[in-house]
Amino acid sequence: MAEVKLMIDGRQIVADASKTVLEAALDNGIYIPHLCYHENLHPNGGCRLCVVKQEGVDGVITSCSTKVQEGMVITTKDELAEKIRKLSCDFMFKTHPSECTGCPKYGRCLLASISQYVGDTGRALRELKLRVTADETNPLMLHEMYRCILCGRCVRACGELRGVGALKFAKVDGRMRVVIDGDSLADADCRFCGACVEVCPTGSIRDKVDVFRDDIPREQALIPCSAECPAHISIPEYIRAIYEGDYSKSVGIIREKVPFPHALGLVCNNRCENNCKHKHLNSSLSIRNLKRFAAEHDEDKIWLDNYLKVAPRTGKKVAVIGGGACGLTAGYYLNKKGHDVTVFESKKIPGGHMTSGMPEYRIPTQAVLDEVKVIEDSGVKIVCNSPIKNAAELKKDYDAVLVAIGTSIGKKLGYLNKDNLPQTYSALELLQAQRLNQEIDLGQTVCIIGGGNVAFDAAGTLLRMKKTVNVVCLEKDASQASPDERDTALEEGANLFDSHSNEAIIGENGRVTGLQVHKINSFYFHPETRALVEDAIPDSTYIIPCDSIVFAAGQVTGLTDEFGLELNRFGYPIDPKTGKSEYTTSVEGVFAAGDVITGTRFLIDAIAGGRDVASLMDQYLGGDGVIDEQLVERTADPFIGTIDNFASIERHEMDIRPAEERKEDFAPVSTGFTCEQGTCEASRCLQCDLRLQIAGPKFWNDYAGAEGEEVNA
Amino acid sequence: MKNLQADVVVIGTGPSGLAACVEASEAGMKVIAFEKQNVSGGAANMGMGPLGIGTRHQQDQMVDIDVERAFKMFMEYTHWRVDANMVKRYFEASAGTIEWLEDLGVEFAGAYKYFPKSEATWHIVAVNGGIGRNGGAIMNKAMLTKAQENGVEVYYETPAKKILRDEEGKICGVDAVDKDGEEIHVDCKAVIVGTGGAGDSPEYMKERMGYTYGKDLFNIVIPGLKGEGIKMAIAAGAATTEMTVEKIYILPFSDFGPQSVPVTFMQPNLMVNVQGRRFINEEMMQNTTFTGNAIQIQKGAVGFSILDQKIVNGYKKKGLDVVNFVHHVDNIDDFEQACDDIIADPNNPDVVKADTLEELAEKLGIEDVDTFLETVEEYNDMCESQDTLFYKPSKFMKPIEKAPFYAGIFHPSGYGTLGGIKIDDKCQVLDNDWNAIPGFFACGTDTCTIYGDSYMFLLPGNTMGYCVNTGRFAGEAAAEYVDELDED
Repeated sequence: MAEVKLMIDGRQIVADASKTVLEAALDNGIYIPHLCYHENLHPNGGCRLCVVKQEGVDGVITSCSTKVQEGMVITTKDELAEKIRKLSCDFMFKTHPSECTGCPKYGRCLLASISQYVGDTGRALRELKLRVTADETNPLMLHEMYRCILCGRCVRACGELRGVGALKFAKVDGRMRVVIDGDSLADADCRFCGACVEVCPTGSIRDKVDVFRDDIPREQALIPCSAECPAHISIPEYIRAIYEGDYSKSVGIIREKVPFPHALGLVCNNRCENNCKHKHLNSSLSIRNLKRFAAEHDEDKIWLDNYLKVAPRTGKKVAVIGGGACGLTAGYYLNKKGHDVTVFESKKIPGGHMTSGMPEYRIPTQAVLDEVKVIEDSGVKIVCNSPIKNAAELKKDYDAVLVAIGTSIGKKLGYLNKDNLPQTYSALELLQAQRLNQEIDLGQTVCIIGGGNVAFDAAGTLLRMKKTVNVVCLEKDASQASPDERDTALEEGANLFDSHSNEAIIGENGRVTGLQVHKINSFYFHPETRALVEDAIPDSTYIIPCDSIVFAAGQVTGLTDEFGLELNRFGYPIDPKTGKSEYTTSVEGVFAAGDVITGTRFLIDAIAGGRDVASLMDQYLGGDGVIDEQLVERTADPFIGTIDNFASIERHEMDIRPAEERKEDFAPVSTGFTCEQGTCEASRCLQCDLRLQIAGPKFWNDYAGAEGEEVNA
Repeated sequence: MKNLQADVVVIGTGPSGLAACVEASEAGMKVIAFEKQNVSGGAANMGMGPLGIGTRHQQDQMVDIDVERAFKMFMEYTHWRVDANMVKRYFEASAGTIEWLEDLGVEFAGAYKYFPKSEATWHIVAVNGGIGRNGGAIMNKAMLTKAQENGVEVYYETPAKKILRDEEGKICGVDAVDKDGEEIHVDCKAVIVGTGGAGDSPEYMKERMGYTYGKDLFNIVIPGLKGEGIKMAIAAGAATTEMTVEKIYILPFSDFGPQSVPVTFMQPNLMVNVQGRRFINEEMMQNTTFTGNAIQIQKGAVGFSILDQKIVNGYKKKGLDVVNFVHHVDNIDDFEQACDDIIADPNNPDVVKADTLEELAEKLGIEDVDTFLETVEEYNDMCESQDTLFYKPSKFMKPIEKAPFYAGIFHPSGYGTLGGIKIDDKCQVLDNDWNAIPGFFACGTDTCTIYGDSYMFLLPGNTMGYCVNTGRFAGEAAAEYVDELDED
C-alpha cells in the first residue's frame, strides 16, 4: 500500500497508508496514551485517551480510529487533548478502586501507568464504585470485575480474535458491565485460551496463582507442558497438527527437538502432563499417547527431506561411545552441524535401553530401529559389536569423543548370594537376553528382588516367557512402582510378596532352589549411612521356592579406571575442575552425557542431554552450537471458535488388550488411539501457545530513552 | 548473554532509585537502571508526597517547624537509638529536595498534617492542581523523565540478580535477567541498591522478624517487594540491620472494599480486646502505627472497634470525627449496605453486626462476655462524665446503646518493611567491620532504620522523604566515588 508523509509533534513521519495515527506514532517511538486500543483488536475509540490535535480540524480526533493522511499535522501534547485525557482518566477512576493497595496487578497495571503519564489520578468526579464480588469459581481464571473499566478488550479478544464470545457487555442493575455469557465460563463455551487475561489492562481478569510457574521466563511459563519437557518439544503445535489431521506435520514438529518420536510416544514418562493447564479443568491431555498416535499415522514423512539435510562438512571427526538414545541424538545433531560422526555400540544392535533394557511389549525393537535408520540415513555411521575399552585412547584418533554408555550394568546384591549360585541375573541381563535372543537358564519359577518399574518390566517379560513370577519387595503394595505398571503385571499373573525382606538365596548342588525371606512391618533407609533399617516381624522367616533370581535393584555405569577418565566413587565420570559429573570430563575433548553422568533416568532426559551436549561439542569444534531447526511450516489460527461442551470433554485413555490375550505375545499392550480418539483428545488442548501471539502492553516509560548498545557481546 | 557497560548501576526505580538516577546522571555518569516491574515508581506510586522541613510552603502557610525542633522531637521519639548524623543530614536536605523536585516540574499542593496531632511536614504532590490520590506517581514520572533525558537507560521487567565485586573488593558489575530469560551483565564502577524492602515476602518477614503472615501480621501486599535487594547486598558482603515493619492496623479484607467501612470503624470510639477490655485511648487510632503496636500485643493480635447505630447515624448527618487524606470519603451513606455485603461474603470475616451486645460478643469470639458488658457499661457511664481510664477527650466519648451494633475486627498490618542493609550517612554500604565497601551504595526503605522500633508518624511524609533524599545522597556519592576512581 502507498506510503504517506505526516508530521507528529514536529517530526516528519513516513507511514503506510493503512496505519492509524496512533500506530504510526507508536511505530516511530512517539507515545500516545491508549487503553481500549490493542494492536491485535479492532479499535473502538471508547476510552478517548488517545485523542490528539489535528491541525485544521476543530476539537480533537481519536488517533486509534483515524487513518494517516498525506500532509497531516498532529500534536499529541495539545492542551485540549490533555484535558480530555484527564477527564477520561477521571471517568475510569469513578468505578475503578481508588486504592491500589492490595492489587496484584500493581507495578504492571496499564491504568496506573496511564494515570501517571496523564497526571490525573481521579477524584474530580463523585465515585460510583462497582460492588461486584470476586468470582473465583473457575479453576484457571479469576474475575474481579470491580476493577473493570469497561475498555472492552476482553470482549473483543474473546469474540473477534478467538471467535468464542464467552464474554459480553450487559446492563446489570442499571449499570453496564462485562459479564460471562452464561452461568459459568464452561457454560459459555470458553476455550480457556487466556486471551482475556492477556489483554486486560487492570487485573480484572487474571490467571489464578499457581496455574503458571513464576520462576522461569513468562514466555516459557505460559506453555507449561513444553516448559516441563526436558527437550522443550513444542507440544501445543504438534497437538494442533494432529487435530488438523496432519500427522506428518505433527511428527515434523516433534522431530525438531527429538529424533525418537515413536519411542517417546510409547515409553516417555510424560512429565509434560504434570503441569498441563487442562488438569485444573478436569484432567491433563494424554500427550504421550497423542505423540504415539501421530508417529504411527505419519505416512507422508513430509519432514524427511529437511531432516536429512546436513551442513557442509567441517572435516572434524567425532566418536560417540554408546548407541543409545543419548549417543544417537547427539550423533544426529553433530552430523547435522557438519561433523563426521561414528557411533560405537557394544551390542549387536543399536538403541541402548530402548532395544535391550525395556520389554519388547512396551517398545518394539523394529519401531526403534526404524527411527535409528533415519539417523543413519542422515549420515551417522553406527558400528555395532564394538565395545570401547578406553575413551582417552579413542580421543587420539578423533577431534572429540562423547561417552554415552548409560548405566548398563544391573546391580546384584552379592551378600544374598554367598554360594555364588549361577542362576542369578540382573533385570537388564534378563531383558537383554530375551530381546537379543540370548540363552538364559531360568528354570520355571523366578523370584524378582525389587519393587520398582524395572521389576515389573522383568515380571511382564518372564510371564510372556511362560515363567511363574514372584515379585519380592520391601515396600507395601510395591509403592515404588507406578500403579499402572504394577497392576498390569499383577493382572497378567505375577505374584506379589510385598513387605518382605530378603535374607539369602538358597541352593542345592549348584542350583538356586529358593529365596529365604522374612516379613516386615516397615522400613526406611538411614539418612546418613543409607543402610536399611527395618521393623521385622519376629519368627516370620520362610523360603519361597524358585529356580532363579532376578535383581531389579538399580543400575550402574560399570566403568573402571581402565576407561581412562577420572571417576567418582560410584563409577561416574567427573570433571576434576568441579568434582561433579558434567558434560565435560577429565580429558579435554572427551564429553559425557545421559545416564552415565546423571544416573538412571528416563528416555527423554537422555535425549535432552544428547541435545545439550551436541550443542556444547559443536562449539568446542568451532561451530555456533545452534541446533534448533524448523522442519515443517505451520500456522496457528487464533480464531479457534467454540466446541460443544468443551470444558467437560473427558480425557481419553487407550484401549488395553485383555491380560489373557496380551500375556501370550510380546506385542504392545495397547494398539494406540483410534483416529476418532486421537482427534477428540487433541481437540481438548487449550492451545496455550496462542497467547504468545498477543502483543504485550505498551507503557509510556518504554518510549523514552534508548536501550544501551551492546559491547563485546 | 548481553554485555553492557556503565559507570553506575541502579537497582530498583522507586523514588530512591529514581532520585539516585537523576543525581548520578546530572553528575555526568553513564547510568543503567534495572526495574523488575513494567513501570517505575514502586510503592510510592500510591503515596502522596515527601516530607520537607523549613520549606517555602511551610513559610507561606505559617507552619512553625524547623530542622532543630524536628530533630529534637525525632531523637527523643527514637530514644537516640538511630543514626543521628543521618537524621540530621536528611532533615537538613529535605527543604532543598522539595525545591529540587519543583525544578523537575513537580507541583506541590502545600505542606500538610497526616492527622491532627502530627506536624505539617507532608508535602503533597498536586494532582490536577489540588490534593488528590497517588501524587507520588506524578513525582516519580518527573524524576524518571529527567533521568531519561539525561540518558539513563532503564531496563524494565529485568530484575538484577547479583552484585559483583573484584578481587580488591571493589564493586565491578551487576548481573540481571531480562523478561525473556536472557542474562545481562554490566561492567560498572558503582552500584546503588534501592529495591523497597520485603513487604511482599511473608517468608523473609518470618525469617527476619518472626511474624506469621495471616496470624499476627496482615500485610498490605505491594507485589514484587521480595527483599531481593537486601539479599543481594548481603550476598555481596553488606552488613545487615534490624528490620521492622512500617506498622498500621487494618480490616484485612474490608480495607480493600468500599472505604466507608474502614474509615467509620477507624473513628475514635470503643475498642476492646478479645478479653473484653479496653486497651487504648481510642484518640490514638489516628496514629496508625501506635494503634498497630497496641493491637499487636493483645491476645490473638486483634482489636474490636465497636459502634452502635446512633454513632453511625451521627456520622452520616454531621460527618466523621477524624479524617485524614488517606482514609477519606465524601460521606458514609453506604455504610450499612456495605457492611451487609461484607457480612454476606463468607470470605470477609472482619465485620460483625448484631442486635444485642451479647450476640455481638459471641460473634466476635470475646472470651469473657460479662467483662465485655461491664466494659461497655463503664464506658457508657464515662461518656456522661469523662474517661478516667485512658483520658480520651470527652468529644470522642459516645455511648454504645442503640441496636444494631457493629464491630470491625482489626489486625496489625504494615505498608512494608524497613531496614536490611547497613549504610552510613553518605549512603555507603558497610561490611561487618563497618568499613565502606568501595563503590557500593544503598538508599530508600532497604536501608531505613531511622525510626527505631516504630514509624515516626508525627512527621508525615517521612518514608517517601527518606527515600528521595537518601536516593539523592547515594547518587551524588556514587558519582563522586567514580570520579575519584577515574582520577586515580
